[in-house]
Amino acid sequence: MPLLLTQINPGWLLVVAGLLAMLVSVKALRQAITLLAPMGAILLLATAQHGVDHLSQDMLGLTLSLYRVDSLNFIFGLAFLLAALLNAVYALHTDDRMQDGAALVYSGCAVAATFAGDLMTLFIFWELTAVASVFLVLQAGTRAAYFASLRYLAVQVLSGLLLLAGIAAAWKATGSLSLAAFTSLDQPGALAIFIAFGIKAAFPFLHNWLQDSYAKATVVGAVVLSAFTTKLAVYAFARIFPGHDELIWIGAAMTVFPVFFAVIENDLRRVLAYSLNNQVGFMICAIGVGAAGAGNALALNGAAAHAFVHILYKALLFMSVGAVLYRTGTAKASELGGLYRSMPWTALFCIIGGLSISAFPLFSGFIAKSLTMSAVAAEGTADPAMVIVWFLLLFASAGVLEHSGIKVPFTAFFGRDSGRRVKEAPFNMLLAMGMAAFLCIVVGLPAIVPGFGYQWLYGLLPYPIEAASYRPFTLGHILTQLQLLVLAAFAFMLFKRLRLYPTEKAGTILDTDWFYRRAGFEAVRWIDAVWTKAVSVGAQAASWAGRLAQGQLVAGFSPRGALSRSGRAGGMAVWTAVLLAGVLLVAFLSG
Amino acid sequence: MTDDTPPVRDASGRFVKRATETVNALSRTSDEGIHPMAKVLFGWTEAKGIGTILLCLTGLLSVLLILADLLVDRHETINAAGVFGFYGLFGFAALGFVLLAGWPLGSLLRRGEDYYGDGNTSPADIDPETAEPDPGNGKSGGGA
Repeated sequence: MPLLLTQINPGWLLVVAGLLAMLVSVKALRQAITLLAPMGAILLLATAQHGVDHLSQDMLGLTLSLYRVDSLNFIFGLAFLLAALLNAVYALHTDDRMQDGAALVYSGCAVAATFAGDLMTLFIFWELTAVASVFLVLQAGTRAAYFASLRYLAVQVLSGLLLLAGIAAAWKATGSLSLAAFTSLDQPGALAIFIAFGIKAAFPFLHNWLQDSYAKATVVGAVVLSAFTTKLAVYAFARIFPGHDELIWIGAAMTVFPVFFAVIENDLRRVLAYSLNNQVGFMICAIGVGAAGAGNALALNGAAAHAFVHILYKALLFMSVGAVLYRTGTAKASELGGLYRSMPWTALFCIIGGLSISAFPLFSGFIAKSLTMSAVAAEGTADPAMVIVWFLLLFASAGVLEHSGIKVPFTAFFGRDSGRRVKEAPFNMLLAMGMAAFLCIVVGLPAIVPGFGYQWLYGLLPYPIEAASYRPFTLGHILTQLQLLVLAAFAFMLFKRLRLYPTEKAGTILDTDWFYRRAGFEAVRWIDAVWTKAVSVGAQAASWAGRLAQGQLVAGFSPRGALSRSGRAGGMAVWTAVLLAGVLLVAFLSG
Repeated sequence: MTDDTPPVRDASGRFVKRATETVNALSRTSDEGIHPMAKVLFGWTEAKGIGTILLCLTGLLSVLLILADLLVDRHETINAAGVFGFYGLFGFAALGFVLLAGWPLGSLLRRGEDYYGDGNTSPADIDPETAEPDPGNGKSGGGA
C-alpha cells in the first residue's frame, strides 16, 4: 500500500467524506459517498500496522501523534466503522444533506479520536464529536429537539473543557501528552480528565443528557448517536484509567439504576437510552476490575467485547424502534402494540436485538457479558466487596431482559393491538437491521469451525491469547444463564397475567435533569424576579432620598430657606466683608 | 392445491416468474394493512389461549431448568451461586422486585406529558405519509 494511504487515519476519511456529503445535492452521489467512505475506512484499518505511529506532527511546540493503532483501539475503531456503514444503509431513504454529512463527520471524529496517539489529539476530536453530533438532534426540527440540542451541546462542551483543563495540568506537571494510564486520581489533571470522560460515559447523575437528546433526535440521528459518544468514553477509560476501583462501583451503580427508570418510562427511545446506560455500566465496571498493563486481561477483554457487540445490538434496537417511529409517528409504548401484523420483519429484528442484549446463549451478548461476569466473580474470591458487585451485575442482567428484551418488542409489536396498520419499514432500513441482526447472531455462535463464531471476536480482543483460553459455551454456564433469563421471563408473564405489571402510561418521568430543567430554571427565574424587584425598589429609594436631600437643601439655603429668614443674603455678604477687613487690619497692626 | 402461475423459464431454465411472484406475495401488504409474513412468522401468537399456553410452557421449562441443576456439575466461584436453583430463583425475584417497584416509582416520578413545556411532536424525518402539519411551526412532524 502507498505510504500516503498508510498515514491516513480512517476517521479523517469519514470526516472529509462527511464534509463533501454536505455539499453534494445529488442524492445518489451523496448516498454513494456515505456508503463507500466507511468501506474504504475499514480497508485502511484492516491494512494498518499495529504499534506504530503512522503519522506525527509538530505543532505549537507539541508533538501530536495523529494515527496509532494497537490491540485496544483496533476493536473499538472497527466497531465504529461497522456502525457507520450500518447507519449509512439505514439512512438511504432520507434526503438530508446536513444529516448525512453530520453523521459521517461525527462517526469520523469518534474514529479519529480512537486512533489518537496523544491526549491533545484525543481532545481535538473529542470536541469535534460534540459539535458534529448536535446536528443530529437539531435536525429533528422540533422545539423540544432545539432545546435538547442546546442542553446536549452545553454538557458536551463542559466535558471538553474539563478534559482540556486536565490535559493542561498533566502537561504542566509531566511535560508529556502521553496516553499512558494514570495510576491515581491524585495525579495532576487526572480527576478533571476522569470527570470529563465520566460525563461522556453518562455516569450516574451526569447521565440525563443521553435520555434527553437521543429520544428527541431524528429517526436516523438516534441510531447514529447510540454508537459513538458513550463507547468513545469507554475506550478512553480503558486506555487511561484501567484498574481504578472507583470505576467498579460507579459501573455497578450504572447497571442497576436505569433498570428502575426503564420499567416506568413510556417513550421507547428513552427506554433504550436507559438500557444504554445499563450496558455501559457493565463495561465501566469491567474496566475498573481490569488493571493497567497485562493485569486482569479477562476483565479488559470483557469491556472491549461488550462494547463491540453492544454497538451492534443497540444500533439494531434503535433501528427497529426508529422504523416504528418512522411509520407510525410515535415511539410511545402507550400508543403502540400489535405492529407485528404490519411490520413483521422489523419485529423479528427487534426480537433478535432483544435476545442479544439479554445475553441469551447463541446471541452476541452472551459471549461478551460472560467475560465480565467471570472476571468479577474471580475477583470475589479475594475481595468480599466484589461479591456485592457481582450480585448487582446479576440483578442488572435480569433487569435488562425486562426493558430491552421484553418491554420494547412486546409493547411495540405485540401486547394490546393499537389498531395501527402501517407499511413495513423501507427496504434500506430492513437491510440495515438484517445486517446488524446477522452480526449479532454470527458473533454469538459457538466456534464449530475454528476461528469463526465467537472466536472471531475473541481474536480481535486486546488480549487475544487470554481470550482464546476462555470457554463461554460450557454446560454450566449455558444452564445458569438460561435459568436466570427463563425464570425472569416467567416472572414477567406471571405478573402480566396477575395484572401486577406496571401499566404503560403517557407522561414524563422525572430524573436528574429535573434539577436543571425545573428546579434550576425556577431558581434562575426567582433570582431574576428578585433582582428586577430589588432594582425597582432601589431606584424608588434613591429617588426618594434624592428628593429628600434636595428638599432639605432648598429648605436651608434657598432665598426662602431657613438661613435667609433673619435677613437678606446681601447683608450677610457685607458683614462677612467687614469681618474679613477687621482680620486683615489686626494682622497688619500686629506685624 | 393448484398453481395457476404459468411455468415461465428464463434462459437458464429457472422458474423466474414464479419465484418473483412468491417474493412479491410475501412482501405485499393486504388492504387491511396485514403483511403476509406476519402470518408466517407470528401467526401462532393469534391462537386461542396462547397466553395461557405460553405461561404454562415457560413455567414447565423453568422447573426443568432448575431440576437440571441436579444433573450438571457447576463450578461456582461465588459460594451463594452454588445453591440449588440459585440463578433461576434470583432471576425470578429480581424481575419481580423491579416490576413491583415500578408501581410506587411511577406514582412518585410520573408527571404530565408536557411537564417541561417542550411540546409533543415527532421528528421531521418520519414518513411523510404519516406526518401531519405541526400547528406550532408549520413544519411537518405532528405525531400520529
